[in-house]
Amino acid sequence: MIVDHDTVVHFAKSWGLFYLIGFFAVVCVYTFWPSNRQRFRDAKSKILERDDKPCR
Amino acid sequence: MIAQLTLNERTSALGLLILVALTGALMAVIGGDDPFAAHGVIIILFCAVIAAFVISGFDAPEPRIDRQDSYYDDPTKVGIGLSMAWAVFGMFMGVWVAAQLAWPDLAFDGAWSSFGRIRPTHTTGVIFGFGGNALIATSFHVVQRTSRVRLAGQISPWFVLLGYNLFCLLAVTGYFMGVTQSKEYAEPEWYADLWLVVVWVTYFVVFLRTLARRREPHIYVANWYFMAFIVVVAILHIVNNLAVPISFTQSKSYTIWPGVQDAMVQWWYGHNAVAFFLTAGFLGMLYYYLPKRAERPIFSYRLSILSFWGITFFYMWAGSHHLHYTALPHWVQNLGMTFSVMLLVPSWASAGNALLTLNGAWDKVRDDATLRFMMAAVVFYGLSTFEGSFMAIRPVNSLSHYTDWTVGHVHAGALGWVALITFGSLYTLVPALWKRPQMYSPALVEAHFWLAIAGTLIYVFAMWNSGIIQGLMWRTYTEEGSLAYSFVDTLVAMYPYYIARTVGGALFLLGAIIGSYNIWMTAKRPFMPAATDDVPQALSPAHARVPAE
Amino acid sequence: MREFFHRKIERTAIGFVLAIIAAASVGGIVEIAPLFTIQETVEHAPNMRLYTPLELAGRNIYVREGCYACHSQMVRTLRDEVERYGQYSLAVESKYDHPMLWGSKRTGPDLARIGGKYSDYWHVAHLHNPREVTPESNMPAYRFLSRTPLETATLQSDLNAMRSIGVPYTQEMIDHAVKDAEAQATPDSENAANLLKRYGEKTQVSAFDGVTTQLTEMDALVAYLQVLGRLVELPAKQAASQPSERAP
Repeated sequence: MIVDHDTVVHFAKSWGLFYLIGFFAVVCVYTFWPSNRQRFRDAKSKILERDDKPCR
Repeated sequence: MIAQLTLNERTSALGLLILVALTGALMAVIGGDDPFAAHGVIIILFCAVIAAFVISGFDAPEPRIDRQDSYYDDPTKVGIGLSMAWAVFGMFMGVWVAAQLAWPDLAFDGAWSSFGRIRPTHTTGVIFGFGGNALIATSFHVVQRTSRVRLAGQISPWFVLLGYNLFCLLAVTGYFMGVTQSKEYAEPEWYADLWLVVVWVTYFVVFLRTLARRREPHIYVANWYFMAFIVVVAILHIVNNLAVPISFTQSKSYTIWPGVQDAMVQWWYGHNAVAFFLTAGFLGMLYYYLPKRAERPIFSYRLSILSFWGITFFYMWAGSHHLHYTALPHWVQNLGMTFSVMLLVPSWASAGNALLTLNGAWDKVRDDATLRFMMAAVVFYGLSTFEGSFMAIRPVNSLSHYTDWTVGHVHAGALGWVALITFGSLYTLVPALWKRPQMYSPALVEAHFWLAIAGTLIYVFAMWNSGIIQGLMWRTYTEEGSLAYSFVDTLVAMYPYYIARTVGGALFLLGAIIGSYNIWMTAKRPFMPAATDDVPQALSPAHARVPAE
Repeated sequence: MREFFHRKIERTAIGFVLAIIAAASVGGIVEIAPLFTIQETVEHAPNMRLYTPLELAGRNIYVREGCYACHSQMVRTLRDEVERYGQYSLAVESKYDHPMLWGSKRTGPDLARIGGKYSDYWHVAHLHNPREVTPESNMPAYRFLSRTPLETATLQSDLNAMRSIGVPYTQEMIDHAVKDAEAQATPDSENAANLLKRYGEKTQVSAFDGVTTQLTEMDALVAYLQVLGRLVELPAKQAASQPSERAP
């Protein structure tokens, strides 16, 4: 296979898009995965707790 | 400060300083009469000043063994001071450079003071000096609090902060001497770039080690933004600055990228510097300090995750919208335009998330100028990301490009978003760090807020007007079908706006000076414990879980 | 157990970094990679000239003084720009530009086609004090350029560095860089003939700042400004006005 300008452009135009869709799907799955719900809920409220020294 | 370090660490700090100073000495010797040698001398002086600090505290008692039981905030404190110092310097240069456009004789016939040389001192001073120091300082603070662990390393955080400032110093002094690569927002020459790589890798390692030691199961989203800022800026910096120096004793180098490729690499860098330096990093600040100050958790954590990945993914494609209608291949221009428009979705998701966090606490926004700083920043963020997507559309860009509209857009983002969120975060952080109940003068915070808002609005409106007027004048035809205005005609129309923008910038500078004074006095004021608690009122966790509906 | 837990969270931090790199850099690579093969699509210009040492020195002064902050060198494919400035810029024209100086702001006019439009004398007078030539101008005055002798000692290393990144300077050009720079500002000299032999008959030899006794930075900058847009012979038919948008 000869890699010339058109090949690379074609690759960028097609697979770049699939990559985008795939990435989006993975992110959505992670975001809405049920067992992550509690994690996220904790994370968002925990920063408001008292934090004057490290936890050991 | 030095008392936080053990005797061994003090010695290694001195050793490191001597090593860097020796490199500076070598540069000074081999550089001859090139600016390279002058930079060697600057490096030596820089190391000498820090060494003087270390030596003056060398005999201080050693720290207690249980340093791990406390957060390491000294680098953050110094970082805040450096950030405000750079803000005043960078904004002063901005006002001066703006004034030169209206009154060109203000260069006083000097080479070092001409527009082309001091313009990058303004951009570097505010973006890298003010913004960069604020990012380093706040990221060190946030990563410790959200990971509930002390910062990794004792000297390495100092190396990051001070090394970064050495880079900024080399950059700015270089411009005065005419040392520049002419790549916008990446002007410093090869040796400063190499030094920044060393500093940045250290920054990455410090941040990653701190995250790795964390006592929380989940990495809080603010750290995601800081991490993306650190990682992607490293990639951008290295790729864009690949260059061949003409010799290792001179400052001049040639970028390896030719013509069109250089244009694409430069604006891929330039646009993503906006994305990951001026957006991602400051969103990190937003996602920590806004909930803290409002005492309300972020509206939707999931939305913040989605917008994080959206921003990280989309921005990288958008750079070519800086090159519409140029010799860049057409499909790359279209790709850049499409992704720029799509970027609006994650950008507005972030802005909406922040505003909905404040929903139900508008009384606090009304009463607390610090929170108002952050709210105004979010509004400007929403406006300028919309404007950015709009301007990336090819026909719009044909009007806006090369005009002051672009400058106005950049400043809506830089003044309205970056600077306001920084001031809001610093006014939250400073009392907490120095354990004061509140800022030295809440009235001065209020004054700063209104000066900043007035300055931003005057500036941005002046540039919108001048940009659109000039863009339209350039393309106006007479009935006979010839161009109606000469270039000089369009320049003459700009003068009133150039004066107005100087006034707007001056107001913003005045606000920054007041802010610096306020921060200085807060840090210097003798400690006065609050009546009930040693935690700052605004950060008191007592009501954290109770939304003030 | 504790050790295992520690390693696990450390791994997530690193995995997270890898995810950021995957999200961010692939987009850039996909978009930029095709540009590495762009030579295949760039127009051919067999007679393209190289910057002479003096012009290159002038270009470096242009870079040093930050002229790109106010002047673009990129005529877009829009009707009004082509009519105001001339033929729109082609990719091939900046083939030897390290770095490119396309610019992003026109506080002053575009300079991509400035070469040959004005006399050397006009440029010197204008750089000396722009407001003597154009009273409304807000450009800084560059009087110091006439006072500053041009630093020629580095010219060989300049050409050498350019050659190492693909600009086809010959060894002969590099060896004679200093002499060529002096010759270009000294008309009718013996070396001027050699300069033309090396860089082509179109090379402009002139006492740019009006004085042949000393080579100044003014000489170099004016030599550079006069070559802008003239490195490539543009086909005559393209110079006419263009539709407002180029076909993809």
